[in-house]
Amino acid sequence: MAIVIRLDQMLHERRMTLTELAGRIDITLANLSILKTGKAKAIRFSTLEAICAVLECQPGDLLAFDPTQPPWE
Amino acid sequence: MNTRADALALSRPFLRVLIVLNLLYAAGIVLMFLVSLLAPDFLFDTLGVKHGDHRAQLVMGMRTMMIVGVLAALVVDRVLRQLLAVVDTVRAGDPFVASNAARLQAIAWWVLAGEGLRLVIGAIAWAASTPAQSLDVNVGFSLAPWLAVLLLFVLARVFAQGTRMRDDLEGTV
Repeated sequence: MAIVIRLDQMLHERRMTLTELAGRIDITLANLSILKTGKAKAIRFSTLEAICAVLECQPGDLLAFDPTQPPWE
Repeated sequence: MNTRADALALSRPFLRVLIVLNLLYAAGIVLMFLVSLLAPDFLFDTLGVKHGDHRAQLVMGMRTMMIVGVLAALVVDRVLRQLLAVVDTVRAGDPFVASNAARLQAIAWWVLAGEGLRLVIGAIAWAASTPAQSLDVNVGFSLAPWLAVLLLFVLARVFAQGTRMRDDLEGTV
């Protein structure tokens, strides 16, 4: 997928674990893990909003488009 | 256990019984067809076919009907087995899968084929009947099966669409 999720990088910069993030927003660790590993097909605005609020970042910090990656099947 | 769970638990053995009964029905017709070849006078006299010039035409019509009858039983068998497979997925807890949409579509086609065969039987009865004796087969036209076919095709599309939507939702975080 050409859309890259940079959640791992953002968490690392803020010294925060995925479990900690899951605890602060109303999303299960399993679902956050799916998002982090790039296996999610879609992301709700509410999820994006919650993550951005906790990580104090913009959606563009979390998502990027990488044209060198193969497109979504 | 609630009523819906009861209905689900009962539907499986019920469908299995129907499959066996339908196969027995098919075997009965095959047996009758074989008897019609080996001992035609015995069978057709028993069935009340009168002797005369018209007898050959009636016998031919009835034999053709037996063949169509076996085909119809095979069609019913396909419908029942597809339905059983759908019930099994409900029991397994995941009925909204693409294969069930395909099964519903297949059931729609088989029911359509069954209705077609019913019309064929009616046509054979009409063609084989003579002024001396008619083949009294009741295949009156009914709108209900055709509506059921339409409903099944629509339901199959709804199922396919629903399955796609669920797949999308499953990957949504």
